[in-house]
Amino acid sequence: MEDFLFDLIDLVQSIADGLLFGTTYAMIGIGFTLIFGVMDKLNMSYAAAAIAGAYSSIAILAVVPAPAPVAFFIAAIAAGLFGYVIYLLCFRFIPLASPLATLMATVGMLLLIDEIIVHETDGMPQPYPALFDDVMVEFGPFGLRGDLMFVFAVSVVSMAVLLYLIYRTRLGIATRAVSQQPVAAQLCGIGLERTNAMTFVITGVLGGIAGAMIGAAVGVLSPLLSIPFTVKGLIVTVIGGLGSIPGAIIAGLLVGAFENTFQFLRGVTERDMYVMLLLFVFLFLRPGGIFSPPDGRD
Amino acid sequence: MQRKLSALTIVGPAIAAAGLLAAPLQPLAMERTVHIAGFGAKSGVVRSFGVNTEAVMLAAAKHINESGGVKLGDGTTGKIKVSFYDDRCNAEEGISVLRRIATTEALVAVGPTCSNVAEPLFGILQKKVGDDKDTGLQFPVFTDTAIKGGLAKISEWAFRNVPNEMEMYRQMFKWIKAQNPDLKTVFGGVEEDFAHSRFTWYKVMKTRSGDAGYEVLGEAKWLLADTNFTTQVRKMRKAKADVVAISAHPFTTCGVLKEMQRQRVKPKLLVGLTSSSSLETLQGCAKQAEGIIIPTSFAPVTPAAKMAAEAAAKLGGSADLHSAAAWEIVNILKGVIEGQKVMAKADTLKADRRKIRDGLANLKTTGGLLGKIQRTDEGEAVKPYVYVHAKAGEWAVLHNPIK
Repeated sequence: MEDFLFDLIDLVQSIADGLLFGTTYAMIGIGFTLIFGVMDKLNMSYAAAAIAGAYSSIAILAVVPAPAPVAFFIAAIAAGLFGYVIYLLCFRFIPLASPLATLMATVGMLLLIDEIIVHETDGMPQPYPALFDDVMVEFGPFGLRGDLMFVFAVSVVSMAVLLYLIYRTRLGIATRAVSQQPVAAQLCGIGLERTNAMTFVITGVLGGIAGAMIGAAVGVLSPLLSIPFTVKGLIVTVIGGLGSIPGAIIAGLLVGAFENTFQFLRGVTERDMYVMLLLFVFLFLRPGGIFSPPDGRD
Repeated sequence: MQRKLSALTIVGPAIAAAGLLAAPLQPLAMERTVHIAGFGAKSGVVRSFGVNTEAVMLAAAKHINESGGVKLGDGTTGKIKVSFYDDRCNAEEGISVLRRIATTEALVAVGPTCSNVAEPLFGILQKKVGDDKDTGLQFPVFTDTAIKGGLAKISEWAFRNVPNEMEMYRQMFKWIKAQNPDLKTVFGGVEEDFAHSRFTWYKVMKTRSGDAGYEVLGEAKWLLADTNFTTQVRKMRKAKADVVAISAHPFTTCGVLKEMQRQRVKPKLLVGLTSSSSLETLQGCAKQAEGIIIPTSFAPVTPAAKMAAEAAAKLGGSADLHSAAAWEIVNILKGVIEGQKVMAKADTLKADRRKIRDGLANLKTTGGLLGKIQRTDEGEAVKPYVYVHAKAGEWAVLHNPIK
């Protein structure tokens, strides 16, 4: 009985940890989904650019020392700039009619960003500043990591700001218009290229915050982070529903919790298998994802 | 007279100039180049291993060349030239790189970095020397870094100068037990998807700690690219072991140590993987790694080791457990080339490679940076070692069993 209680506590704790860490997956998922929603294209280099933003912040901090929040801010700005550069190199001047062209361009960009990081750091993990990393909030047998709670809070605020931007500003209206009816949006005077570029910058900024939060949660940055976060971001995007922001948020948390639960129940070697199984179940039973848009809308 | 003078004025300086040009050519004609290839990971997350090996090989070659070079079979002086190739820690790339090296003038190849490359790569070499039915590659490979146990026996053309982890951990756990008789239990942490870490926990640390009288309470597992270790560290906390042994590379070692700090898991002793006794661990988590004990076959504790470390640093590399082996290898090769009367000529290339292989196979002991290295019949090394621990952001020697 005592063992069962211990296991139950551990299970609840694992789910809570997974939910907190899942916010970083949600932010990466939002980036993927927003770009897909607007351009109908996947940007495979998104997570790598997010991590590169975080790397840029520690590069700047190495020259001008500053506290952790400044690092997070620089990461966001840098990743926003990377987002614009990726738009120019992988989308703006590449024929959009060919679905593979932009996909392969962004895969190339992902590998390029990764290799630049590796060459600049020799692949060595770089310490990343964190806030509240030595804080543990305890409720009886449960404990919540202070830094993960901070990551969770920042992620929630960032997502709220993004939702405000998308649903309450002229830029958001333009973005949604381009996403739903690009031709009609152009006829209404909305600049397609400008809107696309702004989407990349905004998602880049969000990615930069995600990259910084990942660095803060892990404590170090490593090129090892790009591929797993790209994969997780894609899973979140598919489960949440391509193009759905609320879907990406829910799916991010779900994947985080699911991953930790199965790590606890079945061990690390089977963990990813169950996450993939979850993806397969969604593709089979609900291919449009949790928040699939109503059929035939456009 | 005038014509004679003008002829002299023209021809004289021309002869002098030719003489001046020929003068430096004369010793050059007596010199030959001894080509040694290096290969390892110079891209990807283990790039630092390749960068360090290359720097150490170049430093060793420079040191040998400046000290007079290598004496070849016909009395000519040979100068070592090192060319380094990137295999990206990928088995297919490694095999393709070695095949490419075999088409060059290289007499021998030093590498690779990763055990997952070394294992299949040794498999393409001829297994038994002189076996005409075996069409495997006949090219000597001398490994500095890939450390997974017992790989050199795959081929008689494969040799290694890597530490013997079995012996190092056996002795270290015995020593720890003698120093701390009150410590009774061990809990492991293992990076499950990396050949070296996995092998070292299950086949080395787990068994050797048991041999030393520790009770192994279990192990927590994670993957090389994992970022969240809360579940694993909770398991560790529950076990309440006296000793925690982490068989993982710096990125996840740091992640786990940080999580241990958060969850206030404070074992009485921490033991780490040989590959973590590097700068990376200290860069990533010096504070949390404080006190971790690791056996290593390199530390700048002898004049030779200090010199090697300084020479590597001048070329932008860092001499550590793995890369320092490359310094020893280049020096061992110098001895073998001289002893086997290698010619280093284009028309003796095949015979020279065979001579180097035979020379390496016949070695019983070689010089090393920490002392004498024993060679086994299977092409492996038994190297001297020390125990280091992380102290105030640096690796310091805790115990030197050689003394």
